[in-house]
Amino acid sequence: MLFKLAWRNIWRNSRRSIIVIGSVVVGVIALLLIDSLDNGFLNQMLFNQISSNVAHIQIHKKGFNNNKKLQSFVPGAEKVDETLANEAHVKHFSKRVIAFGLLSSASNSSGIYIYGVNPGKEKFVSYIHQFIVKGKYFTGGEREIVIGEKLARKLKVSLGDKVVALANTPSGSIGSEVFRVVGIFKTPNSEFDKIHIYIPIRTAQKMLDIGNNFHEYAIILDNYKNAKSVAADLKNKLDAGYEVFSYEDILPLLLLQLDLFKEMMFIINLIVGLALIFGIINAMLMSVFERIQEIGVLMSIGMKNIKIFLMIVFEAIILGVSGTILGIILGYALTQTLAVYGIDLSIFSDSLTSFGVGSIIYPILSLDNLIVTLFMIPFVSVIGAIYPAIKAIRLEPVNAIRYI
Amino acid sequence: MSLIKTENVDKIYQDNGVPVEALKNINLEISEGEYMVIAGPSGSGKTTLLNLLGALDKPSSGKIFFENSDYSKLRRKELSSFRLHNLGFIFQAYNLIPVLTALENIEFSMMLLGIPEKVRKERAMKLMAELEIDELANKRPNEMSGGQQQRVAVARAIVNNPRIVLADEPTANLDSTTAKRLLDLMLKMNEQKNITFIFSSHDDKVIERAKRLIILRDGQIQNDKTN
Repeated sequence: MLFKLAWRNIWRNSRRSIIVIGSVVVGVIALLLIDSLDNGFLNQMLFNQISSNVAHIQIHKKGFNNNKKLQSFVPGAEKVDETLANEAHVKHFSKRVIAFGLLSSASNSSGIYIYGVNPGKEKFVSYIHQFIVKGKYFTGGEREIVIGEKLARKLKVSLGDKVVALANTPSGSIGSEVFRVVGIFKTPNSEFDKIHIYIPIRTAQKMLDIGNNFHEYAIILDNYKNAKSVAADLKNKLDAGYEVFSYEDILPLLLLQLDLFKEMMFIINLIVGLALIFGIINAMLMSVFERIQEIGVLMSIGMKNIKIFLMIVFEAIILGVSGTILGIILGYALTQTLAVYGIDLSIFSDSLTSFGVGSIIYPILSLDNLIVTLFMIPFVSVIGAIYPAIKAIRLEPVNAIRYI
Repeated sequence: MSLIKTENVDKIYQDNGVPVEALKNINLEISEGEYMVIAGPSGSGKTTLLNLLGALDKPSSGKIFFENSDYSKLRRKELSSFRLHNLGFIFQAYNLIPVLTALENIEFSMMLLGIPEKVRKERAMKLMAELEIDELANKRPNEMSGGQQQRVAVARAIVNNPRIVLADEPTANLDSTTAKRLLDLMLKMNEQKNITFIFSSHDDKVIERAKRLIILRDGQIQNDKTN
């Protein structure tokens, strides 16, 4: 009966209750949208990095990651090949030659990372082939080069144009090769596009005079979540001459950003929660002041303070819970729709591509935040009801029943 | 043994810092089953006395006993429980809970006593039939006339079988015919169920039915006569 009374009390002033529920709904939708947008933004950053060149796991000669010396070749490739073949979670891997160099055209030159890759295998570990906007991702020729759109613009080259790549060889001489541009890619990360070029691994090894050596294994697993455990497993199986890194080891700043984002969400939750608390306090105080005489009557007929307190708290909980449920339904529908179609932020595309995110953000709703929101708002409602409820139970029945 | 006894009760209010003596040296004994009216002009202290007897207010000095136990010293929680178990109230403006139906209003005070729903419903419906308001069971107060609301208020006041029912100007908002019917009904409840009724009123219709009449003037008992 207490709950029934609370429910009916809410609808005595339906306009006010709808406004309060509406503010809760808007608060919940805003929380879900902010969370899913930021989550989508950071996840896109992370997965773009993984898919462009980081992969899930990298294996190098020990020390290569800190000091990318050309002579730091992966030792004992057969052993590594065999270890990877026996690791169930490993889906694909590709060997890479990595060197710093200079790429020149007739009109300009630019510092670059040279990636010597096996195009057939590289297709399974990085997605450069999916971002070709002009030409093709290699056609089988030895002197083919695939470069980023931003670099192509800087060098003022297009498909079919010749460019010259220069790099130091281990002996200290300069290795060079003339290439013809066969493909131009544009990833969501414009900074990446400016400094990465791809050439066939054989040509890279020949140009750098490093025989059959290479610098990196890029590995893709069945699930990125296994990266840490598989990296640890591979580290145990390989000897101390190797370094095995998961993407988490390679992208610590990005992961730090993800953690920072979670803390930011806590602060945003707190701010929205505070705003809602004041909304609930206001609505419940109004409701109590409108019913002073009635509360006096309830006290007169023997209703205990705790029940009057609970009645007011129930009213706030009903407002909070109905607003939360409605907000979650609408927020879920909105974020899931946006997760399919994305939010087009083309007007900010320059800054977004600098961060390695595309101009279309696909929100990702996290279950954690959904659960936090589901419990936080009703809790906030209870907090908001405490002050009005205390006001109510402090009324003196003799004064309250005479209140007009 | 008296049901209620007051000893040298005074009540002083502060009106903008000025003390106002609403009741002076009230000594009363009320026995079980009485049908008593406290009458007097406006400002004589009728409602103040009723509030003290109804444990809604505390005296400034003096004692109020219920079966030899001084309840003027009880704490709020204990007073609530005392009112719930022993008293029923009827107000001038009916004061039913507007969001509850007539049946639910009557059930409400039983709910506070923890009586199971089935028993509550049965008892409330039986009483409503007795008071000839059973057809109002599902109506809310705003769908009822003043007389109907006051009958529901009477039902609410007596449904828990209280020892005393306190009625503050119960006929003030009713037309003459309705008021007479309501008073006859309460008299019947007094005679059939031996419930003590204490009224505060200056309505002649109430006064002429009183078995005991107490006249207050300037906060003091001027006359106490039993018919």
